[in-house]
Amino acid sequence: MASQTPAVVMDNGTGYSKLGFAGNDSPSFVFPTAIATKGPTGGSGGSGSGRPAIANKPSYLTGGAGPGGHLSGKRGTEDLDFFIGDEALAAAAGSGYGINYPIRHGQIDNWDLMERFWSNSIFKYLRVEPEDHHFLLTEPPLNPPENREATAEIMFESFNVAGLYIAVQAVLALAASWTSSKVQDRSLTGTVIDSGAGVTHVIPVAEGYVIGSSIKSVPIAGRDITQFVQSLLRERGEPDSSLQTAERIKEEYCYVCPDIVKEFARFDRESDDRFKKHTVNYANGKTTTVDVGYERFLAPEIFFNPEIYSSDFLTPLPTIVDNVIQTSPIDVRRGLYKNIVLSGGSTLYKDFGRRLQRDIRHLVDARIKASEARSGGAKSGGLEVQVISHKRQRHGPWFGGSLLGQTPEFKSYCHTKAEYDEIGPSIVRRFALLGGPGST
Amino acid sequence: MLLLDYQNVLIESLLRDRFNGGASANIDQVVSDFDGVTFHISTPESKTKILVSLRIKCYQELVQYGAQSVLEREYGPYIVSPESGYDFSVQVDLEDLPADQEGKDDLVRRISLLKRNAMAAPFEQAFDEFHQLSEEASKYTSESAPQGIAEGGETRAIHYREEEAIYVKASHDRVTVIFSTIFREETDRIFGKVFLQEFVDARRRAIQNAPQVLFRNEPPLELQGFPGVSTSTNGEVGYITFVLFPRHLSKQRRDEVISHIQTFRDYFHYHIKASKAFIHSRMRKRTADFLQVLRRARPEAEEKERKTASGRTFKVQA
Repeated sequence: MASQTPAVVMDNGTGYSKLGFAGNDSPSFVFPTAIATKGPTGGSGGSGSGRPAIANKPSYLTGGAGPGGHLSGKRGTEDLDFFIGDEALAAAAGSGYGINYPIRHGQIDNWDLMERFWSNSIFKYLRVEPEDHHFLLTEPPLNPPENREATAEIMFESFNVAGLYIAVQAVLALAASWTSSKVQDRSLTGTVIDSGAGVTHVIPVAEGYVIGSSIKSVPIAGRDITQFVQSLLRERGEPDSSLQTAERIKEEYCYVCPDIVKEFARFDRESDDRFKKHTVNYANGKTTTVDVGYERFLAPEIFFNPEIYSSDFLTPLPTIVDNVIQTSPIDVRRGLYKNIVLSGGSTLYKDFGRRLQRDIRHLVDARIKASEARSGGAKSGGLEVQVISHKRQRHGPWFGGSLLGQTPEFKSYCHTKAEYDEIGPSIVRRFALLGGPGST
Repeated sequence: MLLLDYQNVLIESLLRDRFNGGASANIDQVVSDFDGVTFHISTPESKTKILVSLRIKCYQELVQYGAQSVLEREYGPYIVSPESGYDFSVQVDLEDLPADQEGKDDLVRRISLLKRNAMAAPFEQAFDEFHQLSEEASKYTSESAPQGIAEGGETRAIHYREEEAIYVKASHDRVTVIFSTIFREETDRIFGKVFLQEFVDARRRAIQNAPQVLFRNEPPLELQGFPGVSTSTNGEVGYITFVLFPRHLSKQRRDEVISHIQTFRDYFHYHIKASKAFIHSRMRKRTADFLQVLRRARPEAEEKERKTASGRTFKVQA
């Protein structure tokens, strides 16, 4: 039966989980990776931030069971008393339930909760019998192989999935960019800029393999932009400067400008159609109007000029991308410059890609010029820099998974239950590269 | 979550959003449901016309047992000719919705129950037959009843999965529903056995009103000689029999009973998996405890023989 059913694609991120079936162009469900259980919040922090924090205790010391582990003492149906996703947030707002975020910094932190989260995603939301479907899961770059094994144990032993494939998010994001008309050859070489709510990663990928040593992360992402917008609203003394309003303004009005100074001048010149008004509707029927001004272009600008927002982190994103590529092996650098792919919600600003491409090109051209001068007359053949924006950026990894999961050969790349039983969890340490050379 | 929902959550949330003025956009989604059912939700003509199509493996059998009339009763004016590759389609026009909120909610509910309603037909037919038979039977005493009434009606088989089927049979004092189950996994079979034993025992202990549940490894007498029932007795296929009594078949209970019994297999498998998850969490906890004990048992830094640079050792004076 597994031969006809569409594969299930699950992309569990720190903030949001994207669930759906392969072949669709958008996930069926997108909800917070949150689980509400009876009792107080387990785990420390649990703010769901993707920001690297000080590790208090590695998970092998607590056995991955988390500090709670109360469940083991229960003999009733307490283990089924929980909610996930938006229902979890609603339940935690009341009393009696505490909210937990089983994924932290992209990696699964609490396996007990994650197992139940998956169980509910499969049976309540996706409504599939896991035995009938192949599953494509995602993992962050640099995920330890032990985590993969633990994932496989749960998937095969608890859920008896028909087949399992675990792909790296960055590679899937590259695959998602194949839908762009700018991409001619479907290669899996490129630099992925993945910017979500908590953290931005720059990940070089060569032929489908992540160059782990060159990955850089930037502590500026969606949440920071929201906070920056909020602080601007506060300074101006707007009637509503809540985080929600700031987020709405960020999503609806912000764009990336080519040059801040000129943009300021343009705002002052054509103030009528540059300044906007945002109407906030409250639940009780009242409305307020908030002016939207320079934050329209200033907010995304913190990627390019971080000094206007943060005092600790001062390297602009284009410089980081350039550094990442320069630290990668020399034979793939050309491919990495040519295929810079955006992924994640914080890369959706208008002209984000164009600005990034221009800035990186300036850096590259300056370097080429300098080395030409040093070499005394040699001419460089030039280097192509291309940043690719496409329509599926928001759920890039999920869409890439959907794209690869619907190909006829996908199932032959999966590890099946029989293979797992034969070899054991270590089987998932290695997967044949899906969508790589040799496949269509 | 103890019981599974009967409706498809995606269809429900999607339609609810659209009906209540959500942003209109093109939809094209193929989604799955339990038992290999596939839905296709799309907007083929215009953004306001949402087409929901259903593909179900045993549709021919369901039609034979009166699915058409059940679906017509539920969806009446919304039925359109089935999309190619699918068995049944309904189309709603967002510009032509019921005016009041209640009507909208009802429509959302009904469409999200598409699978349930399609599968309900044989049950409804059997329940009707039961009422008919019991009426006839009341005219006779048990001795003088003619052959047909004492034995009950035909057995309806729904091969809803490749290897598993539901059999429904009505007689004058009960309706028997038999599930054939097969487990691919040894562990699941053992869990399944424990669960089923609980079902069988539940009636004996506390819940007197529950239908009688029987479990056995060979086909029950009702299915003896029925075509397509495997006669092998190697214990691979199990048969779970629910005996629904008149109190379950009353008009008020009927819909609820049909919904419940349909999701039995998925419910069963969901709980097997949930128990495994529970056991895993206990195993993790136990391992963590053992590790803690092990860490505590580490010996104190023992006295090592220390050497000077020239290789001589200090003797500890007793």
